[in-house]
Amino acid sequence: MVHAPLTLQARQVILYNTACAVKMAMFVSLRCVSANFYSVLPLFSRAARAPSSRLLWKACTPRTLSTASQLSAALKFTDKHEWVRVEGGVSTVGISNFAQEALGDVVYCGLPEVGTKLDQMEEFGALESVKAASELYSPLSGEVTEINEELADNPGLVNKSCYDKGWLIKMTIDKPEEVDALMDEAAYEKFIKSIDD
Amino acid sequence: MTLAKATVKVVNLGRISYGRALQIQQRCVRQRLDTSSELANILLLCEHEPVYTIGIRQKLYSAEEELRLKNLGAEFFRTNRGGLITFHGPGQLVCYPILNLGCFKKSVRWYVCELERTVIGLCRKFGIKASTSPDTGVWVGENKICALGINCRMYITSHGLALNCNTDMRWFDNIVPCGIVGKGVTSLSQELGREVTVPEAIPPLLETFAEQFNCSLTFEDGDINNIIVNDSPVRL
Repeated sequence: MVHAPLTLQARQVILYNTACAVKMAMFVSLRCVSANFYSVLPLFSRAARAPSSRLLWKACTPRTLSTASQLSAALKFTDKHEWVRVEGGVSTVGISNFAQEALGDVVYCGLPEVGTKLDQMEEFGALESVKAASELYSPLSGEVTEINEELADNPGLVNKSCYDKGWLIKMTIDKPEEVDALMDEAAYEKFIKSIDD
Repeated sequence: MTLAKATVKVVNLGRISYGRALQIQQRCVRQRLDTSSELANILLLCEHEPVYTIGIRQKLYSAEEELRLKNLGAEFFRTNRGGLITFHGPGQLVCYPILNLGCFKKSVRWYVCELERTVIGLCRKFGIKASTSPDTGVWVGENKICALGINCRMYITSHGLALNCNTDMRWFDNIVPCGIVGKGVTSLSQELGREVTVPEAIPPLLETFAEQFNCSLTFEDGDINNIIVNDSPVRL
């Protein structure tokens, strides 16, 4: 496998993520006593059984970071590198860390109007980065109930906080079975590994 | 895993209106999205009649602005590429790679960097020192020699780059190219102090493209219908 030399920007992203991971790892080790730890952080469930030193090491490996920055409900992923988080019957949609790294700095988010009805895999908008417009694909069938207004002034949130403040849209879930068919974090990790290899 | 060297078919469309070329691009992309079998990567080369185009940030350009530019005698298109306003016209080599990034590297950022490096390599062949800047595109000093704007759907690329060879640069006076205030534009002819035509720039562009993307190029005759298979003929 041949790695292209990392650009400065890519290095910065990794550095930033590594910093997050260290914080994460500290947070995680504090939370180890929590009873709902496994459901809270599925990606770390295997590692959590290992001694905390190993957990720390694992968390510092860039590969394991890409999906691990979310402590609320479990994320589900599409093969188009979008994530979905289901809370109270509504899904929040964003792009994965892998996707934001591949895009580079996002300068504009073209998002749909609230009320737009989407089929699964339908194009619902585009992200513009480094003069490239990349289309977005709806992970589910449903209606757009909210868009992230903050992205109009601060599209870079998609890079800086792809699993949290950089969410794109919220939508209803018309076909719950579509959620079940998406990848969980472990499967998605495997999937992006298969792309890299 | 090392990927096998990708092949790219080069098709020179010659002088063609922006609308027609856009239609050809869209058909190429649509075919690649609709079929599960791998269709060839394509590199469309052309030169347009005068036209101003904008990218997906369309609200930045009003209907009045559109009318003002049309009144200068150019066409105006709102497109789905990245980037802000630019001009295409005679004397400019336009290159639209319709690539499946799955054959190369699945990263838009990588793709744009490789396109920029291709143009820098081409400029080097002409003895011009060009570089990138925080603003995308390829620059000679403070002046842009090549504009870039890309669309990517499911790893299929469209739109591309526009290199000024012996473009009438006055067309750029009417806009802020790519939305970047305070910088200028230049051309191969302007930099070298002699006429460099589009046909002269094509061979070195293809050579650097093949090197940069580590691909082999095949050449088709000008008939686009040989490329767009299983589709109704395109009238050029």
